[in-house]
Amino acid sequence: MNMLTFKVLPMKTFNIFFIIVLFVLVGCKDDKYIYEVNKVDILPNNADKNKEKTNEQYLNIVYANLYQKALSPDKLVDLSNVIQSIGDKQVAHEIIISKMMNDPDIKLPPLSEMKADPEKFIINTYKRFFVREPTQAEKAFFLNFIKSHPNITPEHIYFAFATSAEYDYY
Amino acid sequence: MKRRSFIKKMALATGGVLAAPYILPSGRLFATTNPPLAEHVVLVLFAGGVRQQESVQQRYLSDSQKLNIEGNIMYNMLEGDAPTLKVAYGTTLPGGQKGGQPISKVLPTSLQKQGTLFKELRFSKGSTGHYNGLATAVSGNYSVTQGLKQRPLHPTIFEYARRFGGLKATDTWFVGNGISGSIPLLNHSNYEGFGERYGANFIAPIVTFGAEKYIKGFKIYHPDDELDPIHKMQTFLNQSFRLQGSHLETLGNTEEERESIKDFIRKTFDRLDKQQIAFPPVTDNGDNITIGFATEVLKYFKPKLTVINLNDVDVCHGNFTTYLGALHRADHGVGHLWDVIQTQIPEMSGKTAMLIIPECGRNLDHNPITDENDWFAYDHSDQNSRRIFSMMVGPGIPSNLTIGSEGNPVGDSSDIIPTIAELLGFKNDVLSQGLIDPVAKSFFDQI
Repeated sequence: MNMLTFKVLPMKTFNIFFIIVLFVLVGCKDDKYIYEVNKVDILPNNADKNKEKTNEQYLNIVYANLYQKALSPDKLVDLSNVIQSIGDKQVAHEIIISKMMNDPDIKLPPLSEMKADPEKFIINTYKRFFVREPTQAEKAFFLNFIKSHPNITPEHIYFAFATSAEYDYY
Repeated sequence: MKRRSFIKKMALATGGVLAAPYILPSGRLFATTNPPLAEHVVLVLFAGGVRQQESVQQRYLSDSQKLNIEGNIMYNMLEGDAPTLKVAYGTTLPGGQKGGQPISKVLPTSLQKQGTLFKELRFSKGSTGHYNGLATAVSGNYSVTQGLKQRPLHPTIFEYARRFGGLKATDTWFVGNGISGSIPLLNHSNYEGFGERYGANFIAPIVTFGAEKYIKGFKIYHPDDELDPIHKMQTFLNQSFRLQGSHLETLGNTEEERESIKDFIRKTFDRLDKQQIAFPPVTDNGDNITIGFATEVLKYFKPKLTVINLNDVDVCHGNFTTYLGALHRADHGVGHLWDVIQTQIPEMSGKTAMLIIPECGRNLDHNPITDENDWFAYDHSDQNSRRIFSMMVGPGIPSNLTIGSEGNPVGDSSDIIPTIAELLGFKNDVLSQGLIDPVAKSFFDQI
């Protein structure tokens, strides 16, 4: 009996001891957290615009921006042909946009709105045309420009944005 | 020694400062490598595929329709009597036979008599397709892998002229008869070292001035109160975008040149309303409308290099009668163009050389299509479609001279580029680039 007791008890003790050691070694191991930051190249917010819009993309987008409605397919074809017929695309864009500016249906913010809150106007214009916020430098430039050019109107600013290089890219 | 070295360096630096403003975009100090023969060059791409038989060979219906009637239907360009039988190429008088009234001669002396005719030359390589032919004519290289919807694979004459002749963008124009068939792509290549910044301004006037609804009456901003601030804003926006290294290649029109193009378009609409455009007397097809607008480009910009593309003879695929009429009208238009240059544009009169060349020929054998006169139509794919002609007229060009014949072809389609380069004074620059066809040489070297 004694022999039997001697044999059983140490085994139990051993098992318990083994489990405790196992818990200590595995279950209670401290986690080591290493915090890192992914490497990100710092680029300006228009840097990813590297694809030139097709004539059709440009026309659809500019029409929607200026009229707040979609361009009809027949007008799209005709206007696209006009752009193709003039070698300097910038000239073609300027002619088309300035013709649109003569149209009473065009949706431009009133001058009073621009004068009342030029910063908001600039932010909205960047968002409308460039689909992004202006940088501080850009905001500062336009605030100063509006201030120093009292005759400037939303039409002039919209014209400049709609015929700018960034607007031709996405 | 130190003093001597100092003086030497100072002399070099002073020389550099003095010379720098005169260095051309090409990097050279001087614009020309040979004395120019003309101040202006007009190249007429007499295109659409022209058979030798009905043009320089003056066989009218004898070759094509097995009717024994010969004659010259291009009498502004060529010497020779017009056909008197089965006249179907002219205009239609009320109650008269269709096409039965030949168009009156514009020029008292034919261009053949005034200049040099290369009667039989070759479109020697590649397929005899329109775009391939046109790309060869403007680049001097056959580029046998040239595809449609692709800019010429080698530099165009516009790029050579602007790079080596130091011309500004509005000094070079390509006037297209339309925008189909990749025509708007011919104003420049994308070849490294050349490309868009040396390209020509392009206009397809039938399309531009046909779009009254969309652009006529476009707003003219006040130059000081409106345009100046607009330009300042554009410059800021563009510089901000350029800072990111964006690729912004353009034709290189300056702001002033862009405004001048807009002014030209606005004034041309006005002149169109007032019926002041110098259209040819007969303007019943696209080619002659194009010619009329091209004369407006010449009058306004007085370009150093203008290329005008015609295409109406391409109707020959399906209607031989209309083809004859288009050939007759293309001749009428070319005669009118030369007349306007000499009589209505003093800045170009007597100082302009004009070259004419079809982009390819047409087949020897007809296809099965017949027209209202039961005359067969012709395509362009066989050896006969490699046969073309060319002519040039203007200062420094021998008059009343014919080079080559049916049995003795002289010249190649690719010769046009070194010829224009010689006329404008930068032939050696073009040749030294090694980008034109190896057989290409100036017409002047073949006279």
